[in-house]
This record gives sequence, C-alpha cells and structure tokens, in this order.
Amino acid sequence: MSTGETNSVLDQIAKLLANGLKTKTEPFPETEKEFGEILGELRALSPDDLQGKVVIGGFINHPFGEEQYRCMECMYYLVHRKWCDLPELAVPVEPDWWCRLWRI
Amino acid sequence: MANLLWLQGGACSGNTMSFLNAEEPSACDLVTDFGINVLWHPSLGIELGDNVKQLLQDCISGKIALDIFVFEGTVVNAPNGTGNWNRFCGRPMKDWVRELSEAAQFVVAIGDCATWGGIPATAPNPSESVGLQFLKRAPGGSLGTAFKSKAGLPVINIPGCPAHPDWVTQILVAVASGRAGDLSLDEFQRPKTFFTSFTQTGCTRNMHFAYKVSATAFGQRKGCLFYDLGCRGPMTHSPCNRILWNRQSSKTRAGMPCLGCTEPEFPFFDLAPGTVFKTQTVMGVPKDMPAGVDKTGYIKLTAAAKAAAPAWAEKDIFVV
Repeated sequence: MSTGETNSVLDQIAKLLANGLKTKTEPFPETEKEFGEILGELRALSPDDLQGKVVIGGFINHPFGEEQYRCMECMYYLVHRKWCDLPELAVPVEPDWWCRLWRI
Repeated sequence: MANLLWLQGGACSGNTMSFLNAEEPSACDLVTDFGINVLWHPSLGIELGDNVKQLLQDCISGKIALDIFVFEGTVVNAPNGTGNWNRFCGRPMKDWVRELSEAAQFVVAIGDCATWGGIPATAPNPSESVGLQFLKRAPGGSLGTAFKSKAGLPVINIPGCPAHPDWVTQILVAVASGRAGDLSLDEFQRPKTFFTSFTQTGCTRNMHFAYKVSATAFGQRKGCLFYDLGCRGPMTHSPCNRILWNRQSSKTRAGMPCLGCTEPEFPFFDLAPGTVFKTQTVMGVPKDMPAGVDKTGYIKLTAAAKAAAPAWAEKDIFVV
C-alpha cells in the first residue's frame, strides 16, 4: 500500500469514527478462545470491507479505560508506519486509538 | 574407564536420537577419547534377552562396577502402582531403576520424561508416570527426595524435549573424567552451566523483543515471538541460543516459539486447546511475564520501548 493509499484509508477510518460509527468494543476477549472467535469473524469479511473491520475490531478514536490503553502501546502497532500489523486487521491507525484486540 | 548403562522407560527415544547426533563431543568421542564404556544401550547394545538381564543383575550385585546410570523416559507406575505397564527383562522397569540407581556412582536423567514426567505425566497421567526425583515441580518422583547416588549427588537432571545432544555428552564427560565435583546444580538439579541463562539469551530476535515488535505468523524473520505466538524464551532456562541445534540454529531463530521444554511444567497448561503457540493473556496483558518482571513495570517498559523504537525494528533486516 502506497503512502497515499495508506493516508486515504486512515482518513476513511477516522471519518467513520468521527461520524459516530457504533463499533463492538465489548465484550473484550478475555480468553484466547474469545480472541480467536473475533479473528474468525474478521477472516470471514471481504478483504476490502473496511467498515466491517472497524466495527468487529471495536475501534474507538481515543484511549480506552482508566489505564488509558491505546494503540501506541499495543504489540501489533508499528509506530513508524502508524500501522496495525495484526494480519486480520492490517490497517493504518492513529497511536491514540484503541480496539478490543489490543494486546501488550 | 567409566562404565555407563543407559535404559529407557516411558520414552519415545527422542533423547537417544538426540544423543546420537552429538558433536561436541560426539557419542563416539565418549568411547574413544573419554574412556566411557557403554555397557548397554537400547539402540546400541548387542546383548539380548537373558544376557541383558544378567548384565543388569551384575551391575546391581557389584560384579560389574556401574559408574553412570542414565535413564531416559518416565518411570511408569501404572496400573495401580505396580509398574506392570512397562516391564523389562521380566520385571517392572521401576524396580530395575531403583536398584540400579542405588548401585550407581552417578545417576543422570535425560529429557523431560526422566527428569519430571514430561508429556506422559500430563493430566490425567494414565500411565502414573513420574520423573526420577520430581513430578513436575513437586520433589519426590520415583526415587524420593532423599536419594543420593553413591558419589553423593542427587540425580543430575538434563531436561529438554529432547535434551540438546551436547548437554548430554558434555555432562557425561564431566562425570566420567572425575569432574563431577565441578557441577553446580540448581533447585531442579539441572547443571547451572547450562540452565542459568534463558532461552532468550542469544536469540536473534532480542532487538524486536526490546522494541516490542511482534511476529504475527510462524516463520516471519522480523518480530519477537513472545508477544503473540506463545514463545516462552524469556522465562525458560536453557542455552538453546548459545549452544545452537545442529550447530546452525534454534527454534526461535527459525521463527518457531520456544515451548519452555526445559522447565518442569512442560507441556504448559496441560496442552489445553488454545494454549499452544498462543500467548496467554488477561485483558490483553500476558499471564506469564519475562522472568523477574512485574505487570506495572512491563507496561511502563512497553510504552517507553514503543516510543523509542527505531524504524528498522519494524522491517525485515535479515535480507536474503
């Protein structure tokens, strides 16, 4: 994905979230089985179904919870590319966002 | 000359296969250069049937001096403590193990099964398997906590699934050459020279561990396997990345998570579905932290490491 394409996708996601798209932030997958089930839902999506990824992933455009968890500290986040490297998502994200597939 | 006898209990022969691949020194070097006389070994011994039985009896009676007794595999106690599921030369193997251990100058347990039960002892442990002096983390095993061989040492445990061939041959050389007194054992009776550092020590992915960049699939050359793929390298004691396998590589170097096979709990989580090759987390935070690290420190370290990560850490730097 070129830088232009990446920025375009990032803008699309940002607009979806800014416009109040309801995403599935809950339930948070507490077990590997639950985590795997969400990954299964993501894999069933069409690869270009951006909104589907955002909804099932449970994206929000701000840090989460009292601990202020955010993509910046997530192990899937590539800082320099501003990219979520979880294969089932593989989308550009902002460091202050969060989703329910967050892991540290 | 040191007489060595090697027997197998509840075993897959994996440690024998490993031993026969040893290079520094090799299994042949043990005989030609270090004066080890292999009395009998399941894959190398030429005696059969009653001749093996006589040899074992001669070791127990003292007619043949038994310097080193090596045991591979679990001590099987099923059914109902009789040990009859694993009979050898006309009697339960567990009885041979006890009497030969009492006769030997040194007893060496090779592999997870002989050290603490390994895979056969995974719950519900139908074969009632135990290691020589441990069952998982619990001291005792088949010989009991008080056991010491004639030379005054407890069982020397060389764990692994399998144990690295050179761990085996180097310890056998140390014992056979009169340097057993130099061996320092840890709380699980593992030689400290091999089992004090971590599997992670020397891992080529340490840069990715430091900067919190994760591998997300097997065989990827970039990224650390700890964060997502269940690698136990940061909390497993072994020299797998210092003494390489086949002189070439290691699991983690090749993109395969460490399974923690030199630790008593192996296989972890009793192999429950979803626990193998997947880092276990609670609300996104690993259940098992790198040794000596607490959750608060881990989160702080992650934030700092991510903030400081250079761009190259996110790329595949092992260019072909």
